Amino acid sequence: MLDEGTPLFLQIAEQLSSDIIDGTLTEGSRVPSTNEFAAFYRINPATAAKGINLLVDGGILEKRRGIGMFVTTGARDRLIQARRKEFAEQFIDPLVVEAGRLGIDPDALIEMIRRPTDRRRTAEYEPLISSTPQAPQTAQEGEAS
Amino acid sequence: MNGIARVARLHLVDRFSYTWLVWGVLSFVFVINAAIFAVIPLTQPSGNYTGALVTIYIFMGVIGVQAATKFLPFAFTLGVSRRTYYLGTVLLVLGLCLAYSVVLTALWWLEGQTNGWGLQLNFFRVPWLLDGPWFQVLTTTFALLSLLFLFGLWCGLICRRFALLGTLVFFGALTVVVVGAALIVTWQQAWPRVGDLLVNLNVLGASGLVALVGAVIALGGYGTIRRLTV
Amino acid sequence: MTPIVQIDHVTRRYRGMTALDDVSTALQANTITGLLGRNGAGKSTLMRIITGQEFMTTGSVLVDGQSPLENDAVLGRMLFVKESQIYPDIKVKRALEAASWFYPSWDHALAQELVADFELPVSRPIKKLSRGQHSAVGIVIGLAARAEITLFDEPYLGLDAVARQIFYDRLLADYAEHPRTVLLSTHLIDEVANLLEHVIVIDHGRIVADASADDLRGRAVTVNGRTGAVDEFLAHREVLHRQAIGSLASVVVTGPLDDLARARARDLNLDIGPVSLQEFIIRTSGDARERISA
Repeated sequence: MLDEGTPLFLQIAEQLSSDIIDGTLTEGSRVPSTNEFAAFYRINPATAAKGINLLVDGGILEKRRGIGMFVTTGARDRLIQARRKEFAEQFIDPLVVEAGRLGIDPDALIEMIRRPTDRRRTAEYEPLISSTPQAPQTAQEGEAS
Repeated sequence: MNGIARVARLHLVDRFSYTWLVWGVLSFVFVINAAIFAVIPLTQPSGNYTGALVTIYIFMGVIGVQAATKFLPFAFTLGVSRRTYYLGTVLLVLGLCLAYSVVLTALWWLEGQTNGWGLQLNFFRVPWLLDGPWFQVLTTTFALLSLLFLFGLWCGLICRRFALLGTLVFFGALTVVVVGAALIVTWQQAWPRVGDLLVNLNVLGASGLVALVGAVIALGGYGTIRRLTV
Repeated sequence: MTPIVQIDHVTRRYRGMTALDDVSTALQANTITGLLGRNGAGKSTLMRIITGQEFMTTGSVLVDGQSPLENDAVLGRMLFVKESQIYPDIKVKRALEAASWFYPSWDHALAQELVADFELPVSRPIKKLSRGQHSAVGIVIGLAARAEITLFDEPYLGLDAVARQIFYDRLLADYAEHPRTVLLSTHLIDEVANLLEHVIVIDHGRIVADASADDLRGRAVTVNGRTGAVDEFLAHREVLHRQAIGSLASVVVTGPLDDLARARARDLNLDIGPVSLQEFIIRTSGDARERISA
């Protein structure tokens, strides 16, 4: 669950953010307390607090005195905006570099992005996803050269 | 409960040596003596004398040695300073000596009442030393027990701090002091004077002397524990 | 953040060897600080000096502004559980009972729970316990007392991994409810890495790292890839460790790497990986290293 690379408190913040973005934590819902996080991840409460406070500072979470931490309204939108900015650097850049190494030109790359469903129907993928055995097909359609 | 009292209480958690062991050994020695003297004829008209009571005194010394550091490592963990440990241990020691003195004096009195337990055995009655009125016996017993106990305590601390070599040096130094003093007195042919002094020592003088010796021993022990590590 | 323990230029010399060499650091109040280092690095000596059980040759230690030496007021707020703690010949329950007299914050219910957790035979004499059970006694006392300043010096000798995890979990849980200052010395770094807020690393009597755990985690990275590419990337970086097999090299360098560096690594087809706290400490211990501080 927790890796060695990024600071723990950042990982907590990122985990919470992801949960908010994908809807696991809805706006207005209560977030586990610092101590609950600490116990669950087996980390120091101060570290958990740091992660939570990061989100409080960013307006993603708010503290309601005596009750706990809650997801603010508009949090999801705010997070998505922020993530979009990082998206290019985190995902696109490595993608382009790797594609370049494999000799996949931008057009072919765009094709791959556009038609993920087609790709999945190639022989290479089929045996992995279908439950009934199929007659083997030679890999021809879909796969970009 | 303040710190010093807590340390005294701490020692009593393991009270076997202060209760069963001490009195068990004394009872055993007594029974042996009684058995022997029940059989053999009287050596003196006033009854049989045995110096076996010294057993309990030696024993106190040994218990003192143990008490020095028995609870020290644990006490350190619990945030007790050396000074508090020492004072608490001394408090315990003196308390025990008082209790023991009372019991021994009672036994001394009982022995007197029963004419030496019907055997004319002088176990608890020691001529000149444990003689006279009961309060004198009580205070003498208390003084002797305390001195021995405190001395044992000091020895235990010396041993713990300076190990075998240091303990030998300590006893060597003590011997030098004692023998040296004796030599000086002999050289000055002052033994008669010393004898006179002691014989004419009244109660105040005696207790003063005891207190002085006790204080020296106690201070010695404190000085030793001050830089002791465990 | 207020420092509750101040250690200034402490040196401890024995006949012929220096256990601590000009050590200066501070412990922040209400944090869990890890005192990490190899066996014999000086961890125990430092802790013994902090608790007034050992005397420094030079330097000073202040606990809440006072020297702990022979200071009952300050010492009463501390509890120091050592590995191989020496107990008098008494039963477990007597030891727990006695310990409770010295700490007004002692929680009897917690002690009972911990005894159950570690399956301690309370009526057995301590000297008849197994090594693990013996350590468990110290841990029960250390946790149930809730001393304001609690020090643990490798308290888990003989405890198996499951029992150790119980200790860490219980420590965290109770610390969360009742914050206090905890100093935990250990050589099992990976196990406790996530518990620690602050880390002090000692090597051969000197402090080689003194920073927050988060800080230290980013202090090194591994760079993996073809030797040529790795060397090109390394240019002017400090190398902490190098390993090679065939034409591949794996190098540990001081981090953190900024975005530019990461992009460059990607260009060179290099793989950047994290370095665990334990590996970081292993790589930075040894011969004299530049002190890394927060």
